[in-house]
Amino acid sequence: MSKTVKKKPYLRALLLGVISAASYAYLFTHVNLVMEYFVKGGWYAALPILTALYFSIVHGSFASTMLSILGLQAARGTGH
Amino acid sequence: MKKWIVVLLAALFITLVFAPAAFAESAPPADFKIGSFTQVDAASHTATFVPSETGELTTVTIDESIKPEDIKLDDKAMVSFSNTEGSEAVSEITPMFLGLTRDKLIALLIVGLIGGLLSGFIGSGGAFVLTPAMMSLGAPGAVAVASNMCHKFPKAMVGAYKRFRYGQVDVKLGLVLAVSSIVGVQVGFQIQKWILDSWGSAGSDLYVSFVFVIILLVVGLIVFRDALTMSKGDEEAKTPKLALRLQKIQLPPMIHFKKADVVISAWVTFPVGFFTGLLAATIAVGGFVGVPGMVYVIGATAMVASATELLIAFVMGMWGSVQWAMAGLVDVRLVLIILATSLVGVQLGALGTTYVRDHTIKLVMGTVMIIVAVSRGVKIPVYLDHLGIISLDKSLAGTLDAISFWSLIAALLVAGGIISAAMIKGIVRSRIEEKEAAVAGRV
Repeated sequence: MSKTVKKKPYLRALLLGVISAASYAYLFTHVNLVMEYFVKGGWYAALPILTALYFSIVHGSFASTMLSILGLQAARGTGH
Repeated sequence: MKKWIVVLLAALFITLVFAPAAFAESAPPADFKIGSFTQVDAASHTATFVPSETGELTTVTIDESIKPEDIKLDDKAMVSFSNTEGSEAVSEITPMFLGLTRDKLIALLIVGLIGGLLSGFIGSGGAFVLTPAMMSLGAPGAVAVASNMCHKFPKAMVGAYKRFRYGQVDVKLGLVLAVSSIVGVQVGFQIQKWILDSWGSAGSDLYVSFVFVIILLVVGLIVFRDALTMSKGDEEAKTPKLALRLQKIQLPPMIHFKKADVVISAWVTFPVGFFTGLLAATIAVGGFVGVPGMVYVIGATAMVASATELLIAFVMGMWGSVQWAMAGLVDVRLVLIILATSLVGVQLGALGTTYVRDHTIKLVMGTVMIIVAVSRGVKIPVYLDHLGIISLDKSLAGTLDAISFWSLIAALLVAGGIISAAMIKGIVRSRIEEKEAAVAGRV
């Protein structure tokens, strides 16, 4: 069985890492402004929900890329 | 459009139209205002309060029980009002957002990571320890519940996506159960409200703990025993007898769940979803019932059930988060801090399932359920004391609280340990096999 060696996605990890870190930095440096609007309730409820979704996509993709760089991948022949 | 999708959408629509005031996993409290104080007049026991919602300056009376010098100016707080003899007075002020120190930050990151790992592996969990953890760090209960839920649904989304990629999620089963769960939540919420009205908050705590302990102990022991039998006999997942019997009931509509490899009547799946929702609304750990329900009643493997539970958690969590966020109770800082590590954990847990067999998932689930049940059980005397049924020494009550909290942390650590060990063993074994295969290929 020949084993194909995949190129590790360093550039993708770097890009997602920078976006994720910048988003975290932006939010936590503007925390007073954020907390003012995010707890207003009513339609403002969209703010925390969308923020959580945004971070889960950006930071989640970053985490996924990092795990594959570290060699942590699903077992072959997955599909129980 | 497929018939079952139409039925699902119709059921969801009816549920949302006829029960707009229901919430996933308990309801946000209604009798409070969020805002800040700008001025306090100690002499007249009044203060100037600015509600976040309107931004208008209002003068409010402070109840005698609150010391004016304790009120922090300009900090956001949850303020409760009591109405005695026709005049409204501030009766309780809870600081809305805990100050984040380095230690609290580290604690949240660690709990997030292990909670995520557990969630990715068994489909639920993490929530049972995150809410008390946030509360013990100083967040008000309602903010802890809201923030936990708002972190749960994106985490579940990422976990469900990963496990879908591994071919473990039965989307149809997930959606069918999520919709019937929502119906269960409505009923559970009404029961909860009725108990709260009849016996007050201590009575409600006692009821919740009692149901919690009994169900988690019974189901946890069944799951645990099953895991042990399977691991000893080295046999693969066999469909449980109850599920086989129920699958024989040919009562239309029959639904075919491809990934779970089950054809079963909707009259069986509905009660499973309904009770999951009912228990999610009363004891806040729906997943601990949902996964065993899918395994022992419907007949899915623990692998498919735990993966599908993540999809259910996403739907239910998102729905609940909207309600709590509309009440303005989500502390987005807490949500994002926990997500920073739980998004790593949930993906690790998800890929961990590809290296283990069904009984390891059951072993982790059973162990966690039993420890969590014990943790809640030791608090029952505290609630009995609140109700005046028994009299408990204050220091003993404090000790019981501490035992309860630390056993939750123990549950998390034990589960994290079993998952990590199983995963490392699986990865090492698979690498050795790959190397051997490569050597054999060359020869």
